[in-house]
Amino acid sequence: MSNDKLSLLEAVNLALHRAMDEDANVVVLGEDVSVNGGVFRATAGLREAFGFKRVIDTPLAETMIAGLAVGMAAQGLKPVMEIQFMGFIYPALDQLVSHASRMRNRTRGRLSCPMVLRTPMGAGIRAPEHHSESTEALFAHIPGLRVVIPSSPARAYGLLLAAIDDPDPVIFLEPTRLYRMNPQALADDGKRLPLDSCFTLREGSDLTLVSWGASVHETLQAAVKLQERGVSAEVIDVACVKPLDLDTLEASVRKTGRCVIVHEAPKSCAVGAEIAASLYERALLDLQAPIQRVTAPDIPPPLYRLEQLYMPGVEDILAACETVLDYA
Amino acid sequence: MKYFKLPDLGEGLQEAEIVEWHVKAGDQVKADQLLVSVETAKAIVDIPAPYDGVVAKTFGSEGDILHVGEPLLGYEGEADSGTVVGRLEGGGEEQADSFFVGAAPSTREHLAPRATPAVRQLARRLGVDLSGLSGSGADGLITRADVEAATQSARDKFGGDKLRGVRRSMAINMARAHAEVVPVFIAGDADLHRWTQARDPLVRLAQAIAAACEVEPVLNSWFDGKSLSIRQHEQLDLGIAVDTAEGLFVPVLRDVGARTAEDLKAGISRLREDVKARSIPPQEMMGATLTLSNFGTLFGRYANPVVVPPQVAIIGAGGIRDEPVAVDGKVEVHPILPLSLTFDHRAVTGGEAARFLKALVQALEQPEG
Repeated sequence: MSNDKLSLLEAVNLALHRAMDEDANVVVLGEDVSVNGGVFRATAGLREAFGFKRVIDTPLAETMIAGLAVGMAAQGLKPVMEIQFMGFIYPALDQLVSHASRMRNRTRGRLSCPMVLRTPMGAGIRAPEHHSESTEALFAHIPGLRVVIPSSPARAYGLLLAAIDDPDPVIFLEPTRLYRMNPQALADDGKRLPLDSCFTLREGSDLTLVSWGASVHETLQAAVKLQERGVSAEVIDVACVKPLDLDTLEASVRKTGRCVIVHEAPKSCAVGAEIAASLYERALLDLQAPIQRVTAPDIPPPLYRLEQLYMPGVEDILAACETVLDYA
Repeated sequence: MKYFKLPDLGEGLQEAEIVEWHVKAGDQVKADQLLVSVETAKAIVDIPAPYDGVVAKTFGSEGDILHVGEPLLGYEGEADSGTVVGRLEGGGEEQADSFFVGAAPSTREHLAPRATPAVRQLARRLGVDLSGLSGSGADGLITRADVEAATQSARDKFGGDKLRGVRRSMAINMARAHAEVVPVFIAGDADLHRWTQARDPLVRLAQAIAAACEVEPVLNSWFDGKSLSIRQHEQLDLGIAVDTAEGLFVPVLRDVGARTAEDLKAGISRLREDVKARSIPPQEMMGATLTLSNFGTLFGRYANPVVVPPQVAIIGAGGIRDEPVAVDGKVEVHPILPLSLTFDHRAVTGGEAARFLKALVQALEQPEG
């Protein structure tokens, strides 16, 4: 499969194949992941390659899936569990918060919980209710959980392999809207990307655009538009929203003096607020303008007719950029 | 690759042994074409192709046992895209996915001046460039005091004396006038050969200006550039520019048109003395409707004097000198008074100004008395 153009979805699939091939302790479990290959086919071909015992269809019971994963992980397996849509994740929260996140702390390091929870996130695919959430902040708030959100096939591949390697629980959120967009050449070289680093997608000097997940797509488009207007925007994909690579964000904002944060989650108490607060703590003296956030409003994701209004668009991002650039 | 999986062969049987493959990788197969024969616990079963396609791979060889649901044969082509809830947009332009892990290289070279927003605001107001300052605060932080010191040192660097009083007003008023007025300058000469005593023209000038205002009253107006409105005056209150050691004073000679030559002469001398003694009340220097600069008593021929709003014109009188003049084809020597007129072209047309200047010259060229 190497050097073919792969979508983000195929990159996830490729990484899963590779991880299962490299380490017999890696198992995959979730609803429809085995016989059906997953609702989006992210796990397609795994059962054929690695058998029933390592690719397990579960009942429709998210608490149980997470509980199984915690138990497997504590006993030395490396479970990669799938929640079919992020809106179905809430029954699993108790297992994640009460057990997975604190296994290492509770046992004073005797046990760890090397599990990965994969789930599609975000709006923009015209799905019904409960299929479009972006609740990364819920998990980012819990000490002991890593939260990783790739925004390209290459980063999905490298970050998922790293997440599976990681000795502690990782919430791995896959932007559904990007699953099939912009396929790119990707070598199956097994290279991991760091789980505690931002990625600078575009180098610039006038302002810093910070985003993650599907919104990176619109953010990059905004940067191109700004370039046409003679404004040089740096674009940073946060990718790992917990723990945050604040050093990279701080360095960029110190350079540009202006910052716009773009995310699809509703505004209040979201990761954008955490980033803005941290940047004010660290880089206030270099700021030329107040930091702006471009986000979804504080409402549940609407049904698909209004979906495009809900998600931050390129024009929304450009308007926020104008605001920060207006401070001479 | 699309997988065709070993189907449920019925009767609760969960596995089958491959007896014979009838196709191989690369074969084009049609729907219902025989693919493979398998043997279950009950019978030999022929398994047909579910649909048309090209065989990419066969799983298992003769004698191998397969479970129901395991892949039997792979078709070439894209895999089944899944029972997607919602709609995934595909495709898009291929993007070269290049990125820096962590910060971009340029961030490491960056060293900006460090200052709080409040200090930045102050610096902006005082026109201080922070990049030229070295901060005295912790870690090079630029403080309020640093910015204030920078403005002080900018002043100290220039040195010099601060303008006060009349000179200060002149600097402010002239700059304001220059920024606002659209000035046009014309010049002309008055031939004074009919005058008996032609060396102190001030009273005659004042009277002639009043006469010219009768011809073109628009020159005796105030103009407001913001509201774009003009106010024409009934009487001429002539400002007369007076040079002193302290600077420029412009006392006002009131209602020039209604006064006799003697009255005007007395008025002018009184104003001059008041200015000299610095005893002129401020209201005596306000409200001029038109200004005359008689700079010729000092030196000079023509000038383009500055119109001071809300007035719309100013007249400059140069030094009188004897000049050769052509009279009926012969050269005679006459005393000539050079005149300059600057007008604000926002309020006055070129024609009005030219007619005004012509009327002024004609009034001056009349014999005395």
